[in-house]
Amino acid sequence: MNTLLSEEQRDALQELMNISMGQAANALARLISAKITLSIPKISAVTPHKFLAMLTKRTVWYTRQSFLGAIKGEVVAILSKDGCDAIALLMDYDLPLTQDTLNELLLELANILAGACLAGFAEQLSLKAKLSMPTIFMPAALRVEQYRWASTLIMEVEFKVEASHFDSKIVICLEEASVQTLLATLQQLLE
Amino acid sequence: MSHQVLLQKLTSRLPLGICVVNKEYQIVYLNDFFTDRLRHVGGDVYNKNLLDLYPEAAKYLAKKINSVFVLNNASFSYWEHKPHVFNFSSSRPITGEETLMYQNIEFFPLDILHDSVETVCVVVQDVTELASYYRAQRALSEELEQEHKALTELNKKLEAAQNQLLQSEKMAAIGQLAAGVAHEINNPVGFVSSNLQSLQDYNAKLFKMIHFYRKLIQKINNPTYLALEKDMLQRQQYVFVSSDLPELIRESIDGLERVAVIVKNLKLFSHVDNSEWQFADIVEGLENTLKIAVNQIKYKATMHCNYQENLPKLYCQPMQLNQVFLNLLVNSAQAIENKGDIFIDVSATKEMLYVAIRDTGSGIAPDNLRKIFEPFFTTKPVGQGTGLGLSLSYSIIKKHKGEILVESTLNEGSCFTLQLPFLAPEDYQLDQAADAASFQP
Repeated sequence: MNTLLSEEQRDALQELMNISMGQAANALARLISAKITLSIPKISAVTPHKFLAMLTKRTVWYTRQSFLGAIKGEVVAILSKDGCDAIALLMDYDLPLTQDTLNELLLELANILAGACLAGFAEQLSLKAKLSMPTIFMPAALRVEQYRWASTLIMEVEFKVEASHFDSKIVICLEEASVQTLLATLQQLLE
Repeated sequence: MSHQVLLQKLTSRLPLGICVVNKEYQIVYLNDFFTDRLRHVGGDVYNKNLLDLYPEAAKYLAKKINSVFVLNNASFSYWEHKPHVFNFSSSRPITGEETLMYQNIEFFPLDILHDSVETVCVVVQDVTELASYYRAQRALSEELEQEHKALTELNKKLEAAQNQLLQSEKMAAIGQLAAGVAHEINNPVGFVSSNLQSLQDYNAKLFKMIHFYRKLIQKINNPTYLALEKDMLQRQQYVFVSSDLPELIRESIDGLERVAVIVKNLKLFSHVDNSEWQFADIVEGLENTLKIAVNQIKYKATMHCNYQENLPKLYCQPMQLNQVFLNLLVNSAQAIENKGDIFIDVSATKEMLYVAIRDTGSGIAPDNLRKIFEPFFTTKPVGQGTGLGLSLSYSIIKKHKGEILVESTLNEGSCFTLQLPFLAPEDYQLDQAADAASFQP
C-alpha cells in the first residue's frame, strides 16, 4: 500500500516522528500541566477518497494550518468535542465557552500541537518549515473532484489528555513535491 | 543605501505593527506603526515594559508571549475572537463606522539561543477593512435569513387563507345550489303531500264503502251472491290489499315528511330563511335545545353541563345557533354506541365566548376529519344523516365571525369547540346587507 516509501524509509520516518511528537506532547503537558499520552505515529499514503473519509466524524472539530519552507503542506488537527471544557479550564479560559471562545481555544490548541509536531519533525530532518495561522476547517463541503493531487503522504499521531477525556489527532499532510524532498533527505540520513 | 538603512526604511513603511520584547516584556524594538499610534510617548519607549504601555491588554499579551517563550512556537490572535488587543483607533476615522482597529496578531520566537527563546516578535496586521466587510456580509445574511423566515411564514398564511377561501367558495356555491334545489323541490313536495293526505282520506272512505256492501250481502244471505263475493275478494287479494294500502300511504307520507325536513335544512343552510339578530343568552338557548334533543340523548348519554357564571349576552341569531347546538348534540349522541357521557362547557373571555361539546363516542377517523364540514359528507347509515348538519353549523358559525374547532381521537371521543366573538351589531351590518342583496326567493 505504501508504495511511496520503502520499509526502511518508513521505519526511519516513524522513528523521527516519534521523537518530534514526544516533544509536542511535552510542550502541551507543560502548558496545561496535565499528563499526556501519545500513540505510535502512523505513516501512510492516501488518495483524496481516503483522505476525505478521515474527515467525516461528527464528534470532533477540525482545524487546518498550512506550512511553507523546504517542505510544504498542511496540518489538520482533529480535536474531540468531549473534554473541551476541561481543557479550557486548564488553559485559563472562562466557562461556559461561547462560540468565539471555543474557536479561540481550538485554534490555540491546534497551533500548539501542530507547531510542536512540525518544528520537531523539521528539525530532525534539518528542513525549514514555517506554519501560518490555523483556521477552523469544515470538511463537510469538500468534494473529491476538487482535488488536484492523486496521492500524498500523511503522518498522524494521537494525543490524549486522560484526566479530561480529551482526544486529539494531528495529521501532517505533505504536498506531492515535498514527498520527494523528504525522501531524499531521509535517504541521506540513512546512508 | 546600506542594508541597515534599507531595513529601517522598510520597517517604518510596512503596514504592519512590529514589536520585539525580551523575557521581561521590555521593548527591544518597536516600528513606526506602533510609535505613530502611541498616545503618551514620554521620551524613549525602548526598555519600557510592553504590558505597561497597554495595561488593558496586559493579561492577554502576557499569556500569549509567555506561551511563545515556553513552547518555542508561534501563537496567533484572531480579530474574530479578540478584535482590539491594542487599543489602536480605527484606520478609517472619518468614513468608517468602526472606532477601533481590528487586528490579527502573530507572536513568534525571534532569537533562539540553545533551544531557549530570547526575544519574541509581535506582528500586528490591520484587518479593519476585512473585518467590517465580513461583518457586513454576516449582517446581510442574517437579514436574508430573517426575511426568508418571514416569507416562509407568509407563504404558510397565504396557503391557509387560500384553503379557507376555497372552502367558503365551495360553501357559497353549494348554498346557492341548495337554495335553488330546495325551492324547486318544495313545490312538488307540497302538492304530492296534500294529494297523499286526500288519498289517505278517500282510501278510508272507499274501505268503509266496501265494508258496507259486504255487510249488505251478508244480510241478503243468498248463497250465489256470497260465493260470487268470496271469489271476487279472493281474486283481487282483498285481505292483503286492505291491510297494505293504508300502510303504503302512511309510509309515503312519512317519507315525504323526511324530504320536507331535508329541504328545510337545505334552506337553512343557504340562509334563505333569515332569522333575526339579537342579543341573546347562549345558556338559555342551549337549555332549550337540550329539551328538544332530550329524546335522542337520554337513553345514550349522561349530560354534564358546566356554565361560567354571569356570562354576557351575545349578539347573534339565536335560532341559528340553537340549530348548531342541536346538530352537535345529536351527532354526539349518535356517536355513542351504548352508553356514554356528553360534556357541555360554556366559558368566556373579554373578547370571546367558548362553547365546547365533548362526547365519549366513537370519534372521527383522521382521514374523515378534514371532510366533516363538507356538505353531503356523512358516515351515518343511509336515512340517518343528510350530511348537511355540520356544514350548516360551519356556515352559521362563520356568519357569526366565529370558528368551529374539532379534536377527535378514534374510539375515545370528539370535542367540538365553538369560538364566538363578542361583537357589536355594526360589525355584522355589512354582511347582512350583502345577504339581503343576494336573497332572491
